Amino acid sequence: MKINELCKALGADVQTPGDGEREVTQVTAGDLLSFVMGTAPEGAAWVTIQTHLNVAAVAVLKDLPLILIAAGRKATPELKLRCEEEKICIATVGETIYGICGKLAELGLGE
Amino acid sequence: MAEPVSLEYKIEGNDYMVAGAASNNIKNTLKMLGIESDVCRRAAVVTYEAEMNLVIHAGGGILKALISEDKIELCTVDEGPGIPDIGKAMTEGYTTASDHAREMGFGAGMGLPNIKRNSDVFEIESTPGVGTQLKSTILFQK
Ligand SMILES: Nc1ncnc2c1ncn2[C@@H]1O[C@H](COP(=O)(O)OP(=O)(O)OP(=O)(O)O)[C@@H](O)[C@H]1O
Ligand SMILES: [Mg+2]
Repeated sequence: MKINELCKALGADVQTPGDGEREVTQVTAGDLLSFVMGTAPEGAAWVTIQTHLNVAAVAVLKDLPLILIAAGRKATPELKLRCEEEKICIATVGETIYGICGKLAELGLGE
Repeated sequence: MAEPVSLEYKIEGNDYMVAGAASNNIKNTLKMLGIESDVCRRAAVVTYEAEMNLVIHAGGGILKALISEDKIELCTVDEGPGIPDIGKAMTEGYTTASDHAREMGFGAGMGLPNIKRNSDVFEIESTPGVGTQLKSTILFQK
């Protein structure tokens, strides 16, 4: 599914659009950076409640083009700026991590 | 590649806002040199974890990358507090990260295991009160 379609389907508040046309088929979820670093598949969407700048560092190095911030949290200004520079889409969703992952599963995305 | 490419970065301690800048620079250099993507991916994990350990645990240090014809060698040297029990530090889940670091998502205790898993050769030496040296080698397939 394309990133912009996915954000729309989730009713996400897009903070930086990134590459909206890029396809995403896999999802990772977690708030511990080294856990995501060690386990996330390249190109996956990442669901987290972390909003700190280091989220961008992990997303860039693992090539994760979509960061979905759960529970209505907003990206910090530094994170937003870095994601703009790196063309990463960052979007806020009101639901919990569980709620978002459930919806992503319904939309056909896998692990 | 005719001559080996050598990169060196001074990493400041406790500066969380630099956020993997050196790792990113190394990854971009590897890509530019046309190094195979699996090696780039593994090197990215190794450098990021090593860089952040310098920031979080060591009060800073030096991160070096030496890219030659058949491998990349990634090293860190620091004069931090050292690691009293390396076996323990290598155990997944073991961490001494501060509450402040944990709030930002550090402290899974997975950094060193991630480095080891992504290295073909992994060496770590540490002397409490003196510092820590880490070396990771990734061999090219082709
Ligand atoms: N350069 C270093 N100097 C001193 N201690 C270190 C150094 N690197 C690692 N350690 C020690 O080893 C432990 C395990 O390191 P590791 O990178 O695996 O996990 P972490 O940094 O605590 O958490 P994570 O990397 O998952 O965010 C650290 O908590 C710390 O006690
Ligand atoms: Mg670590």
